[in-house]
Amino acid sequence: MRLLTHNMLSCNIKGVTNGFPLKLEADKWVTKEVDLNADFLRGIFPKIEWSALLAAARVLGFAELPEQADASMLSSDDFLRRFHHALLELHVEEGALVCPETGRKFPINKGIPNMLLHEDEV
Amino acid sequence: MSTLLHSYTPPSAPLGLRPRPSRCLRPLRFQVGRMGNSVVRAQAATEVTEAATSEGLKKGIAEFYDESSGVWESVWGDHMHHGFYEPDTAASLSDHRPAQIRMIEEALSFAGVSDDPMKKPKTIVDVGCGIGGSSRYLAKKYGAQCRGITLSPIQAQRAQELAAAEGLADKVSFQVADALQQPFPDGEFDLVWSMESGEHMPDKMKFVSELARVAAPGATIIIVTWCHRDLSPSEDSLKPDEIALLNKICDAYYLPAWCSASDYVNIAKSLSLENIKTADWSDNVAPFWPAVIRSAFTWQGFTSLLRSGWKTIRGALVMPLMIEGYKKNLIKFAVITCTKPN
Repeated sequence: MRLLTHNMLSCNIKGVTNGFPLKLEADKWVTKEVDLNADFLRGIFPKIEWSALLAAARVLGFAELPEQADASMLSSDDFLRRFHHALLELHVEEGALVCPETGRKFPINKGIPNMLLHEDEV
Repeated sequence: MSTLLHSYTPPSAPLGLRPRPSRCLRPLRFQVGRMGNSVVRAQAATEVTEAATSEGLKKGIAEFYDESSGVWESVWGDHMHHGFYEPDTAASLSDHRPAQIRMIEEALSFAGVSDDPMKKPKTIVDVGCGIGGSSRYLAKKYGAQCRGITLSPIQAQRAQELAAAEGLADKVSFQVADALQQPFPDGEFDLVWSMESGEHMPDKMKFVSELARVAAPGATIIIVTWCHRDLSPSEDSLKPDEIALLNKICDAYYLPAWCSASDYVNIAKSLSLENIKTADWSDNVAPFWPAVIRSAFTWQGFTSLLRSGWKTIRGALVMPLMIEGYKKNLIKFAVITCTKPN
């Protein structure tokens, strides 16, 4: 699971109003190199919840993202490289996504999150 | 094939372990002859309890696809949906992949999804993604990010492998999730895609509500699905023999109760979705099931089936019923598209 995906997932347990962002717990993660596409990064930036990306990247030991980010930074190659690395190159293989409101853990196995709810959560 | 069906008997199931769709129960008298009375009563009670929860259905769906996806893929490739053909053509096996691609393109065209770089979708959700055929195709076509969801962990895994093999791992990702409780925030996607997954949804209203919820303002929603024929104004329900036929199919494919294309249109209207359009593509998919049956009788198809499991084989045995349903104008293949208001 890349952090781009993490940025799009939320907890949908019935009654939960604050299910995003899910906290990341990572037991196993890898870096997979991907070609940097500046146009893509500039296009996706407005859709990214920056603080969620920042926190998740930190869990994976990547602390090189700025605390805040705005569109003006997208003209900096250095910023693009860091953004690209955090968003697309870090893959969580094993771990969990934790609902910020209920603490419920959604497992990540072999890179795939399992977001299925139990019957009493629906 | 019909002889096989007359002698078709399901295996006796261990107590309570066979998942059932919620509204398509096999007549319980069928099991009476196979077991003692008290066991039957206990099993009947468990089956009804299990049927009463959608957990049983979800588990059945997941297990069905966990078991049969590999077989399908080895014979048919990575698109697990009908091909779109010119009416009244016989199609050979080599025609099918282009026909499956054409199905995707026809649906996009019907919905009016733009190719224009400024207007094309940038984020897509593939609801009931199978092994990701549509996800990968759409991601490549539009250069978009696509998220696929499926109940089957094996499908999700396979979908991811295929994406990596095609160099699309940075564009598509797959999650195990329930279409009735999508794990995405509101308004996330420019294109919401459901290609032949609607049949599995036990609550059509909830299904379409979730599609609408995750759609961004102005987004397009595309549903391609099996339906039953529209009811005429004087009808309250389908005829008993029609219901009986659908029930047999439901059981084998882990389908809950069917609805009509008009039902989908009405649901979309009730959710204030706009530009609602629907078409009957039944004539365009007619060659599909005979072709699937023929493929099951090829050496590869046959041996794959034997190596799979009971669920897959039962699904194969029920294929002629699909043809019967289409011939009787009971089963329809429908496309329903709409947009989320801005």
